[in-house]
Amino acid sequence: MPCNTCVTATSQPTQMKDFASANIFTWCTNCGNYGINAAVRRALVELDIKPCETITCFDIGCNGNGADKIGGYTFHGLHGRVIPAACGAALANTETKVIAFGGDGGTLGEGVGHLVHGVRGNYNVTFILHNNLNYGLTKGQASPTTKKNMKMDSSPDGPTSEALHPVRFVLALESTFVARTFSGDVKHMTKVFVEAIKHPGFSFVEVFQSCPTYNKQTPHEWYQQRVFDVSTVSDYDPSNRARAFEIAEDIENKIAIGVLYKDKNSVPQSARQQNRAKLNTQLVEETRQYPIDTLLKAFR
Amino acid sequence: MTYLHRFVVKVAGESGMGINSVGEVLAKALKNVGMFVFGYREYPSLIKGGYSCYQLDISDTKINASSSECDVLLSFSRVSLHAYLNTVREGGSVIHSVIQVRFTPEEEKIIADRRLTVVYLPAREMAITIGGNKIMENTVMLGAIWQVLDLDLEELKSMITEQFAKKPEVIPGNINCLEAGYTFKLEGVSKSQLDLRKTENFTDDYLLTGNHAIALGAVAGGVRAYYAYPMTPSSSILSYLADISHETGMLVKQIEDEISVANMAVGSMFAGARTLIGTAGGGFDLMTETVSLSGITETPFMCILAQRPGPATGLPTWTSSSDLNIAVYAGHGEYTRLVLAASDIESCFILTQVGLNMAEKYQIPVILLTEKQIAESIFQVNRMPDPIPIERHILSNDDAKKMKSEDRFAITETGISPRWLPGQSEAVYTANSDEHLPDGTLTEEADTAWASYNKRLRKEKTLLEELPEPIVFGDPNADISFVGWGSVKNTMLDVMACLSEFTDKKISYLHYEYLYPVKTKVLKEYAKKAKRLVLVENNATGQLGQIVTAKTEIPFWEKVLKCDGRPFFVEDIVNFILGGSSNAV
Repeated sequence: MPCNTCVTATSQPTQMKDFASANIFTWCTNCGNYGINAAVRRALVELDIKPCETITCFDIGCNGNGADKIGGYTFHGLHGRVIPAACGAALANTETKVIAFGGDGGTLGEGVGHLVHGVRGNYNVTFILHNNLNYGLTKGQASPTTKKNMKMDSSPDGPTSEALHPVRFVLALESTFVARTFSGDVKHMTKVFVEAIKHPGFSFVEVFQSCPTYNKQTPHEWYQQRVFDVSTVSDYDPSNRARAFEIAEDIENKIAIGVLYKDKNSVPQSARQQNRAKLNTQLVEETRQYPIDTLLKAFR
Repeated sequence: MTYLHRFVVKVAGESGMGINSVGEVLAKALKNVGMFVFGYREYPSLIKGGYSCYQLDISDTKINASSSECDVLLSFSRVSLHAYLNTVREGGSVIHSVIQVRFTPEEEKIIADRRLTVVYLPAREMAITIGGNKIMENTVMLGAIWQVLDLDLEELKSMITEQFAKKPEVIPGNINCLEAGYTFKLEGVSKSQLDLRKTENFTDDYLLTGNHAIALGAVAGGVRAYYAYPMTPSSSILSYLADISHETGMLVKQIEDEISVANMAVGSMFAGARTLIGTAGGGFDLMTETVSLSGITETPFMCILAQRPGPATGLPTWTSSSDLNIAVYAGHGEYTRLVLAASDIESCFILTQVGLNMAEKYQIPVILLTEKQIAESIFQVNRMPDPIPIERHILSNDDAKKMKSEDRFAITETGISPRWLPGQSEAVYTANSDEHLPDGTLTEEADTAWASYNKRLRKEKTLLEELPEPIVFGDPNADISFVGWGSVKNTMLDVMACLSEFTDKKISYLHYEYLYPVKTKVLKEYAKKAKRLVLVENNATGQLGQIVTAKTEIPFWEKVLKCDGRPFFVEDIVNFILGGSSNAV
């Protein structure tokens, strides 16, 4: 149901306070989640999106504890399953901005299949991957992105599986928008989130996130010293997937951030439904009794 | 003499031979001459080969169940001939197109003992010489069975002409093949003794499966998104809804797995689109965590659970009622849910709509159980029931505007809180899988957690008051009082209709359609009066019986249970009434 009450009621531009929550943050001091929360709100304000026009969807984990700490309608789902829930919401009402958040554990461990098909389906969802290289909320176990030299709870000698490279993985999935940023730079995150939210289709944003409690190896300073935005590379063309693969490869020394890949011709899932091409209504407003008389004739 | 007022034709062959199309044409032709049919399919989980059959029970009155034995076996393949020979009733016939058949001594004994007539019909050769194409073998066989049914060929001719309207060049060959089969001398084959010509009562009924009825219920019930992962016996809901999606505008999408299906449904329902999903037991197992999510977030959720035998892959293409327990107990934690069970076309159509209304009114998960026997069998119905009004229980925009965030999950006496959709009001909220306060804010405080938990559980009491009691059919002074659910009803009613043909005993049947939370008032009265109380379930452990006994302390000393992938055939119940023993585990 499109927001036809509050949008007209508040003609004022959206402000940061509109997306504020009265609830107290419960994250560790210096957790990257503070910056991400602020940058998401800033991006929404910059785009002048009203809280009642947004659905933010949260996975389980430290990021999920932010589900009730941002304005707008929010949904807090199951571990690893936030992507299908967000995709379902996006199909139901394309006039709503749907933003989903998940950690490296839920997204690349338990729910990795959902990431694959969310990308393939190009649902109109902005997905923000909180990648802090570990399972924080369960107290510091190895995640699919934990580096092999990191000794973790339950993996005292370090993980015995190879670390996944999220951007390389998603670039290989016929993605239409792939970006990277890091949680120590709210300004950069805001810029990237704005682009991601504007993109029609599945926007994948990896945020390298600090975890001051369980990941001492890559704090904000570590990233700060290594990142550069691809827009500073004079000949960088974000429509070139091969170039994106190449520049995104290094995540140890010179780490490329910014919009790495973008398909300008992206067609979101909702616009791929041929049987709905002539309908300009939303699923949420279409429920009524549809006649079955004509359909029944086929069974005579 | 006909058995239970029916004549049974079994068309058997390998998968992929067109058995179903012969069965479907036959069913339609019989319906068109004013007969009543029930079509039952047995097939293996493979695409080509093996053996399968399409069995048509034919009667001059409405029937909804199958017999285990047939009067005529029409066999197209060696394997199916041997496999189904043992299902031919005493005095029955076998018409086959298998060259140089050799029966084993055991089979010869069956043929002799039961006085079976076996006729070889060179259908393939006739198809080639008369029709010019071996695929017209099916048409020759169709002509032969029409001869056995002792019916006028004109009806079948016009049907064949209609069927091939877009390929007129094959019509003459098919008509000739039909006539050849119709006039082929079927030495010793006894014709149907049923009076099959009751055209004065012709009403042009519908022939459709339970899955069709569920899909039509979804259309009438205003479903706008259907998500599913293919799994027998639920798949044809997905394929049929996709087939008609250009007419309905419904978003019908095959999803990568059942976990996604369930979570997409929750996401769509949260945003406000009326959504339906469907699966079988294995797929539902994958969804169970999401059923629990629906419970705590109070997001409406409705799933069709089409049953087949487990555990695990089990008997993938066969029938069962063994998933009641997962429907009732799936998902961690405690919360209110509604479990319904369909049995026939009417209930598939209506309960789909009821379930959607209830899911939205109570903001709970609803599971509608069907079985392969219901989902894929062909039922004949005179008319579809009228659709029921859609009730969404979503606040109007004006009312939503007056809400505060903390109204969304407000602690109420009924357990039901006001629901408005994202975008409807500035009063935003969190649908939180963590325990939460009335506005969705996470809480771990004992008193607030307790209050929210119990609020959601209170819905069960409110729901129970609204649910109908089970329905009782048959004689109030019955000698045997049966209790069951699902497709058992169809077998019971078919047997009840011809009870006097084989016994003086009186029977009654109590049928559960609204399974959980379980209503017990009518059952208690029924059990009190019962001379013999007998539980009938298509599973091994009597799952409904266990639930009912736990609630009422009424024991079921006699149980008729079945767990071989086959439905309850009319003979199963007849034999029990005639003194067969129960088989309680």
